[in-house]
Amino acid sequence: MTVISDKLRGADAAPTADWVTISDLHQDPFPIYRRMREESPIHWVPEVNRYMVTGYHACHIIENDQATFSADETDSLMKRAMGHSMLRKDDPEHDVDRRSYGGVLRPRAIKDTWNAIFLQNSEKYLSRLKAAGPGADLVWEYCAPYAAENLRQVMGFYNATQEDMQRWSQTMMDGTGNYANDSDVWARSDQSFDEVDDAIDEILPYLRKHPDSSLLSKMAELPIPMDAIRANMKMTIGGGLNEPRDVLGVAVWALLSRLDQLAQVLADPSSYSMVFDEAVRWVAPIGMYPRETTCATVLEGISLPKGARLGVAVGAANRDPAVFDDPEDYDINRTKQPHLAFGGGNHFCAGAWVARAAVAGIALPQLFEALPGLRLDENNPATAAGWVFRGMTSLPVRWGA
Amino acid sequence: MSKITFHHTGGQTDVLDVEPGTSVMRAAVTHGITGIVGECGGQAMCATCHVYVREPYLEALPAMGEDEDEMLDCTATDRDDTRSRLGCQITITDALTDIEVDLPESQV
Repeated sequence: MTVISDKLRGADAAPTADWVTISDLHQDPFPIYRRMREESPIHWVPEVNRYMVTGYHACHIIENDQATFSADETDSLMKRAMGHSMLRKDDPEHDVDRRSYGGVLRPRAIKDTWNAIFLQNSEKYLSRLKAAGPGADLVWEYCAPYAAENLRQVMGFYNATQEDMQRWSQTMMDGTGNYANDSDVWARSDQSFDEVDDAIDEILPYLRKHPDSSLLSKMAELPIPMDAIRANMKMTIGGGLNEPRDVLGVAVWALLSRLDQLAQVLADPSSYSMVFDEAVRWVAPIGMYPRETTCATVLEGISLPKGARLGVAVGAANRDPAVFDDPEDYDINRTKQPHLAFGGGNHFCAGAWVARAAVAGIALPQLFEALPGLRLDENNPATAAGWVFRGMTSLPVRWGA
Repeated sequence: MSKITFHHTGGQTDVLDVEPGTSVMRAAVTHGITGIVGECGGQAMCATCHVYVREPYLEALPAMGEDEDEMLDCTATDRDDTRSRLGCQITITDALTDIEVDLPESQV
């Protein structure tokens, strides 16, 4: 890449954002994204060691052009932590894995099977929350176990607990994010890797004899090779637990901090769908995912070399003022524009309908109905963290008189 | 070359000339036609490429698949029992040369 060839292309090199730190991003990425996006849709960010893409239009182009922007990046931490799942493949290999999931996570299965299970789980953890009493942390008493138990049953891990699911998910996602190459993080991630494999090996023969609607039951007939199944199950554990937990927590916190919108929703329960959509846009549970260029290319006037490691920051794209008015505001009444939180193109989130059903369809209405007077605990403020993954880290609530 | 005509809710019309093998969704997205999103890239998973096919063209359409039928119950704007289809499941072929569709109020 030479200055002369850049000029010939009429493209600029990406500006460098050397002021961006991971610890600042982790605390609150949004002011950082705003400052970056106002300067350029793409920056080279030394501390992240990636070209971070914060513009909506640029992110949208990337997700729809897998030939130029490959999901199968070099030295993938996710592949190291989980094996080679569909999430790090391009078509046609990706499509083979994706099709193996069939109808398990689709609307019909949700209507026929999963809604009843989600309702059961919501009731179970609402009881637990009530028993913990006002002042309890909604995330850890309700959102987390609810999301974990839902996923446990959707996947068919009858030989594990929801606590196992949470531990597996967090440790393997920590491995996926282990840029620091911390050996303790690898040790915990690798232990979960082995435990998940053992659980899969133990449950598949059972499911072969007692097939049901679960994902592992579908895998029991080996629609794809075993190593792909193992990696995809780990990817699903990583992708289907923290995310619904996080969007549920953010939605509740957003409403409880905006009493006018809360009143509107309580008066009209058909609004929970809008509450969910706006929460996913406002704080995308997965804030950034990686891609790698397969050739030198120009994106939104910025030249990228072959092999460029990109961070597609959909958390930033979802607040692009070119698309969303007053994008930093949580506003359920905004004119809806498509957001990028579920990704787009061939990797569009396979769990999107499950998340919508579990959070908007069941958890939110149940919570507000079961706990009249649900409010933030003014003595114990809620906290949020993260940027690659972001959600409430604590959400103390009170209810009743 | 075949012709796809998109009728927008406001009354405007877009006409595209497309090669056989292109889907209605892909044609719309490639040419920046507003009113079609195609979030899932054509997997019949997102219900954001919903179109109402105009009467004269209904017969030439391919049979509706189960996945498509399922997604048409999930559209942002109400399903029409006769005319609603997913744009990603309608491909221009020798059998289906031209087509005209009405776009719904919203895809999201």
